[in-house]
Amino acid sequence: MSKVVIQADDVFKKYGSRNAIQHLNVSIPEFSVTAILGPNGAGKSTFMRMITGMVKPSAGNLTVLDQTPAWEVNRSIAYLPDRARWYGNHRVGQAIEWATNLHPGFNAERAWELMKSFGLDAATPVEGMSRGQEARLMLALCLARDVPLLVLDEPFSGIDMISREKIIAALIDSFSERQQTVLISTHEIAETESLFDHAVFFQEGTAVLSGDVERLRAERGSMQNIYRQLYG
Amino acid sequence: MEEVQIGGMRFTLDLSQPLYEQVLDQVRSSIAKGEIALGSKIPSVREMAQALKINPNTVMRAYQELERDQLTETRRGQGTYITTDSARVEQIRYRAAEQAIQEFLGKMASFGFDAQAIEKLLRKYGGEST
Repeated sequence: MSKVVIQADDVFKKYGSRNAIQHLNVSIPEFSVTAILGPNGAGKSTFMRMITGMVKPSAGNLTVLDQTPAWEVNRSIAYLPDRARWYGNHRVGQAIEWATNLHPGFNAERAWELMKSFGLDAATPVEGMSRGQEARLMLALCLARDVPLLVLDEPFSGIDMISREKIIAALIDSFSERQQTVLISTHEIAETESLFDHAVFFQEGTAVLSGDVERLRAERGSMQNIYRQLYG
Repeated sequence: MEEVQIGGMRFTLDLSQPLYEQVLDQVRSSIAKGEIALGSKIPSVREMAQALKINPNTVMRAYQELERDQLTETRRGQGTYITTDSARVEQIRYRAAEQAIQEFLGKMASFGFDAQAIEKLLRKYGGEST
């Protein structure tokens, strides 16, 4: 059994009387590329916000990289929030400069390479970027950080096919080059399921199924099929 | 998934089955069919992962199994090469034939044909070689 990087034991998050997360028990293995799957409102984004300490559990125990989530732990996490935007008044070059100053372990050289492969140059203004371009910018800034944990909330949603393919290619390169644990939430299952080696299926704030993707395939078929079985 | 060609090999992956076994089987069968020459270099893990759009760990696992099977060898800093041992490839070819025959026999049995009936049919449809 490989080392566990994120461990949730009976975690709850209440908003008023509603449980956004309830009885959540999850273990994410080190160096896995884990899919966080489930319908809207199942608790995927809340779980990711908990990992980055932005949301505190109402009950239960959550550890990330052997620590309780807090801003100190975030030095080791590259996080792409859902619907992430960058400062409109920046150009790509300024974004890289800004990230270099802000993030420990930010690899500016790698950021430039990624921007180039994403078709973004230093002078491109953020304002006026298409959604796909801005998604590529945000992802490049995440992938350029040398950190043990990468958390991407919906990196493929609402962006065009070419941008998606570029992002997938960049992710595969990144997985080949470094030992990093990666969490990705997505609704684009058919297109992306071949990238994952671990999966967690969320429903009503809890993990209803999780495990090694190849084993799940052997037992129950494709992730898309399992998704239909669970939520259809 | 549609067919992908890389390094002289052809792949069609089915997402409802474990991918590692499919990559392994399809490389093996490319070797058995002679689609890739003995001693030739196969794509790197990264190239294969990019072409198939799959997790590099999955490719790595398949490559490790090929190496354990002595069908490939990794030369440090140079990449992975198909074995030059033709006897080893011949073994794989026979193993593939065995597997194909087992599948064929199983299917025929499910249609209710016994060995004798199968032989008859083979003679009828399989040409004059028998």
